[in-house]
Amino acid sequence: MTLSKLTKPWEAMSYGFIDGSAKREMRRKMLKAVAVPGCQMPYASREVPMARGWGTGGLQVSLTLVKPTTRVKVIDQGADDSVNAASIRRFIASVAGTPTTLDTLEADLIQSRHRIPEEIMCEDQILVLQVPNPEPLRGVQPNMSIARQMHADADYGRMWLQLYEQIVRSGRVMQGASYPSLVHGRHVMTPSPIPRWDVPKLHMSRHLTILSAGREKRIFAVPPFTRVEPLVFDDVPYQVEDHAGLTCYRSGAKGFFMNEIPQDDGSSVYEVSDSEWGVKAIRAKDGEDVIQGETWYKDGEMPQ
Amino acid sequence: MAYVATRGGEAAIDQSERLFREEMGEITPTRIEEVKAALPYLIDRVMGEASLYDEDLAALALAQTGGELYEAVLLLRAWRTTQPRLSIAKPVEQDGLFTHRRISAAFKDVPGGQTLGPTLDYAHRILATNVLRGETFVPPAVVLADKPAKAHLPSVSAWQAENDLVDLPQPDATDGNDIPDLTREPLLFPSKRAHTLQSLARSETGSALALGYAAMRGYGQAHPTVNEVRLSEAEIVVDHPDGRSFSAGRVKISQAEVVDKKGEKLSLGFTATFGWNEVKCIAGATLDLNAPGAEKGSATEEEFFLYHTEGVESSGFCIHFKLPHYVTFQSSLDAMRDAKAKKAAERVAAKTKHQSEPAE
Amino acid sequence: MQATPSRSEEEVLGNEAFDALLWSLSRPGQVRTLPTAGETALISALLDRECAASCDDPLLIPAIMQTGAAVADIAMADHVFLGQSANPARLKGVRLGSDLYPDDGATVIVRGQIGSGRGLTLKGPGVDGALDIQLNGISAEFWQTRKTLIRYPMGFDLFVLDGSKVMGLPRSTNVEVL
Repeated sequence: MTLSKLTKPWEAMSYGFIDGSAKREMRRKMLKAVAVPGCQMPYASREVPMARGWGTGGLQVSLTLVKPTTRVKVIDQGADDSVNAASIRRFIASVAGTPTTLDTLEADLIQSRHRIPEEIMCEDQILVLQVPNPEPLRGVQPNMSIARQMHADADYGRMWLQLYEQIVRSGRVMQGASYPSLVHGRHVMTPSPIPRWDVPKLHMSRHLTILSAGREKRIFAVPPFTRVEPLVFDDVPYQVEDHAGLTCYRSGAKGFFMNEIPQDDGSSVYEVSDSEWGVKAIRAKDGEDVIQGETWYKDGEMPQ
Repeated sequence: MAYVATRGGEAAIDQSERLFREEMGEITPTRIEEVKAALPYLIDRVMGEASLYDEDLAALALAQTGGELYEAVLLLRAWRTTQPRLSIAKPVEQDGLFTHRRISAAFKDVPGGQTLGPTLDYAHRILATNVLRGETFVPPAVVLADKPAKAHLPSVSAWQAENDLVDLPQPDATDGNDIPDLTREPLLFPSKRAHTLQSLARSETGSALALGYAAMRGYGQAHPTVNEVRLSEAEIVVDHPDGRSFSAGRVKISQAEVVDKKGEKLSLGFTATFGWNEVKCIAGATLDLNAPGAEKGSATEEEFFLYHTEGVESSGFCIHFKLPHYVTFQSSLDAMRDAKAKKAAERVAAKTKHQSEPAE
Repeated sequence: MQATPSRSEEEVLGNEAFDALLWSLSRPGQVRTLPTAGETALISALLDRECAASCDDPLLIPAIMQTGAAVADIAMADHVFLGQSANPARLKGVRLGSDLYPDDGATVIVRGQIGSGRGLTLKGPGVDGALDIQLNGISAEFWQTRKTLIRYPMGFDLFVLDGSKVMGLPRSTNVEVL
């Protein structure tokens, strides 16, 4: 054994920034996450050159998965041009030499914060969702050790009670985004702060979804063809945001999740939240040759 | 709408970064040297929180971030991620430390003596405003003692253990690669002892102080007595591939032992960190002292204070609230409006019903 | 900004192998191709000094040791290489994790012939309804033992290798022997 055998040629950083040992740990944990859908697997979560809470969990997954031919799309709030999405996309491209795209259909890997695109993802695509708080029980139990025990016991009584109390008090479940959902009939998970509109897109989908919380150091997954069922009572059905009837003032697209833009006169207009879907609608309207993929929602309804 | 907007976003973040860097101006090797020479305690604090001992890199991180401490620590932690682990140094014992300062509040004098070393503890905190009027502050020369202080001192707890006043933790034979490493495995609870000490070592000074202070004020069960606070240098002894051990240099470390006086024996709390940082060590040791048996969810419970003194995570999460959250906001607004509409409809229904009922 | 770092051979092998492993474990019963035949690509993608592996095939031990992983008793191993034998009795020692930490359940790697032999019906996450497959070289008793041992979410996850072909069978998959 010599010193030179212990070392390696100097390089400023490994391919994809994170080193081999970090990648192997990510790989091992991703496999376990797929094997037990919806169950939070702890991982070391290395520090990356971005602040915690800014997508470091999703980034570590993306950096582990990419190779120079992986076409990467990054969105934040549904938009490719959001500044942090632009920053993450630029970082991945610069450390891994990946091509990037704005088109959902062209992407091999989509890293997203708070949205799932409107076009249906196919089996060769992977969705990586950034997760701020991986623990659906945090609201009823902030202590992580106790919450973990509750998952182990499938003890979700307090979660149900909380939903019930909301219905009694407000006439409906008040959960906005991050709607707690039962995965494969066993683990309750947070789907990350996607709107309720997007949760059904995880149910029995064709693509693999990996959810990763860098700051909280937890990773979990929803494999294809896996049941993801929002927690609801039999007599109070799951209710997505009332956006089915809204029309995008820029693209004319109708029946998709919208951003509300307040106006000076006190009213609001709406624009489609999936920015690239909006762009496609505009280009199609202008007579351009554009491929619009099939969407999960049709006429504002998600087929069962 | 998209192509222009996308370039707009990218151009905006590029320019905002330029604005910040322009205000910092040029970063030269001279500036790094100046930062290193002028601000050793700041360098220490940053190295401790980054758990990366390299004064040059710490000075560079401070220069590059203009002294934004959370950013500086993040820079160093991210750099640390890219570095391979080549070797694992031999453990150091307290009496093997090259000690500059070691004081005990528990006894008037202790074996090895009280060594004050460098400190501002008894300085009158008066600004040297003359410097701003053009004068140079020349520090008065140190007068050497007749007898040099001892460089190697046993710990105060060692004497206490000899006198059956305290039970020292069992020596842990775990060695080298088998020592649990917080940066390579997740922190789980109940925490491994190594993880607890590593986590306190890299805790953010202000956070450790805030929670440690809460414990000192009475939110903890134990009232600390400072057994000893020590500023020292430790040899980094590593194995050469040919089998011999050699010192790769020394690093500054600080540590604190605090004790609680309940029951028949003293109980111990401990924290050590890279660099000289007494406040963090005393606060951290106080938290460690209070942890056993602490109530779940209290500030002195291990899970609570280890999570909430993690500076890179807490600061990152805090500033992430600057990111757009309009999708989640929209989702909540929808539920809120719907609930309001439902309530209004109920009121109308109740009113109608009431009106249609015959008067009694 | 520095130039984009290039991929080392090790990175290429690990990345491509993991691509196949992740895809196949996400879709039980469907076959993917590893960059090289046998266990080496999987070992390179997953194992290092943080791991402990148990190995029934002595020929694989050097490759495992080279990663820095410890060769350990089956009860301590996070990766279990059963090689050609697929001995059902060996499964009984495999780590299953706990309800608290299901990720402590081991990954088991076994060789078999995919596409011929015993018929199996698979159901569970990753399977659209049900999927019939054929696997040779793995006994009915092996599947019976697997079923007895797995108490979801406790259990172990299986990769079946056939040359460079790989099939994943996570603990969530219900396997019925036809």
